[in-house]
Amino acid sequence: MGCESCSDGSCGSNNGLPPGMLEKYRLNTDRSDGFLVWIETYVGPDGNVAVSEVCKEILCKIRSLDNGRSRIWGVVFGHTELKPLYPEIYAYGVETLYEVHDRKLSKYHPEVYAENIAQVIIRTEPAVVLFGATPKGREIAPRVAAMLDAGLTADCTDLILEDRVLSMVRPAFAGNLLATIQCTGFPQIATVRPGTFPLGEPKEDPRGTVIYWQNCGGTLKDIVSSELKARPTDDISKAKILISLGAGVKKESIPIAESIAKRIGATVSCSRKLVEKGYFPQSRQVGQSGRTVAPDIYLAFGISGAVQHLAGIGSAKRVVVVNKDPEAPIGSVADEFIVADADKVLRELDKIV
Amino acid sequence: MRFTVCVKQVPDTTLIEVDGDGHLVREGVPSILDPCSEHALETALRLKRDGDVVTVVCMGPDQASEALKTCLELGADEAYLLSDRAFAGADVHATCHTLKAFIEKTVPDTSLILCGKQASDGDTAQVPAELAQTMGRQQFCYVVGMERDGCSFTAVQDYTDETRVCRVPEGSVVSVSDCEPNRRLPSIARLMEVSGMEIVRLDRIALGLGNYSVGTKGSRTRIVRSEAIGRTRAGDFIDGSDPGKAAEFIKGLF
Repeated sequence: MGCESCSDGSCGSNNGLPPGMLEKYRLNTDRSDGFLVWIETYVGPDGNVAVSEVCKEILCKIRSLDNGRSRIWGVVFGHTELKPLYPEIYAYGVETLYEVHDRKLSKYHPEVYAENIAQVIIRTEPAVVLFGATPKGREIAPRVAAMLDAGLTADCTDLILEDRVLSMVRPAFAGNLLATIQCTGFPQIATVRPGTFPLGEPKEDPRGTVIYWQNCGGTLKDIVSSELKARPTDDISKAKILISLGAGVKKESIPIAESIAKRIGATVSCSRKLVEKGYFPQSRQVGQSGRTVAPDIYLAFGISGAVQHLAGIGSAKRVVVVNKDPEAPIGSVADEFIVADADKVLRELDKIV
Repeated sequence: MRFTVCVKQVPDTTLIEVDGDGHLVREGVPSILDPCSEHALETALRLKRDGDVVTVVCMGPDQASEALKTCLELGADEAYLLSDRAFAGADVHATCHTLKAFIEKTVPDTSLILCGKQASDGDTAQVPAELAQTMGRQQFCYVVGMERDGCSFTAVQDYTDETRVCRVPEGSVVSVSDCEPNRRLPSIARLMEVSGMEIVRLDRIALGLGNYSVGTKGSRTRIVRSEAIGRTRAGDFIDGSDPGKAAEFIKGLF
């Protein structure tokens, strides 16, 4: 088949190998196998470097994808400050950790990071390369993909693995559509949305190997000034109970909601309209241009429910809506719809909790 | 000095609906210039000085010329539409190769390439970074403000946990996530001027691209399945005419 020197295979081509050998030893298929994950680190409030949550989530998902059969590589950037992190990284499943050991790279430089990750990928030949869909992950993943001429899927919410072929599921069109995407070749690159996969238990007695990798180039950014911001402590994407306020709520009710939230251990979030009015910072905004949340109870006060907002609450376990208008679109996702004035209900709730 | 702005036309997602089979209802859905693209154009127009040229380019079907017209009204100087049947179904990889071909062929002298952070329909936010690498340029993402001093630029980037100010070398790709919302309104004189301006249409041959580097054939990913998400829940209505009772009910949830 496909021989150019003869038409019937009589010239004995087939690379001079015995018949069937190519198939048996899979010599004519891509050998790429295993997973490579970029281990993102950040400087915590105590000044120490920590592994970002989404990387641990990805590593736990990888273990459940293939029952721990494949190899898992990690790539991390920094210097001596990374040493205390090794046990944690190994505990979540990384076997071989490539550390790009350079003091300059404790700071984030997208071009250099991408160049080094691409070189490690060429060395290790993984079938799947995963990044957290954090601002930084979403910036370097496309660069790596372009260097390797590989396919890339952004912001996946589910991964399915069948014989090294990864199906990546991601929402599109403001969450109205779930698309399943495959890459046409190896490596298959994806960024994974933070908070979508549950965090498993770390392994006891973690073991692994670290390999120091010589920084192999890329342009360093010319940084004039840089200011670290504290991560918001009241992270709405992790809250168990969310009291969410929309345009149907008066400004005077915001402190009331805050005080209720404090007493019942909830967090206050909001819709886009209140961010635009300047009542809340963008970190509190739920929806497509804000955060995706997955609380046990989502209390929506005076939120009409634009598609972009609904895209952010798809994973909420129970949605309770308080709204004057029974026709409000948010009713389509509500478990309970209380037709009432949101301000009044908030005031009453303030009295009894 | 020349600024090139890559824009996209998107369906107005607040109005999107899904029919019974789970397909998007496309008919009658108005298309708009993507809000993030508008931020990018706005940033370019603010950096512009006398004698500079702002070029907008859009990849899409013929009706995308509407989006380009909006750009011209807002103050862009020239507009190019990359349109060809072969471009359809392009993923990030194919899109970036098409844009690269355009920039290198038509506007090789461009000082900055500006993009919106992400388009509201696909939401991938990958094109700017991949375009930068494809063209071998530096990238500056999540830009919230830019300053110009003569011929040098600085950008303010917002990485949620870090704000940094960087010097931007010539030729870089900048993806703008936000800028001040005071949108310019085109003047009547400008509208008159624009009606006489021409949008240049370029196809695959004009860009010198092969069949296998554009569209579905040039893509590195393929969509194997797409389904609409059912958003129906039990949805019990509860009468809230007595706010006290409603509050009691909510309290009972915790």
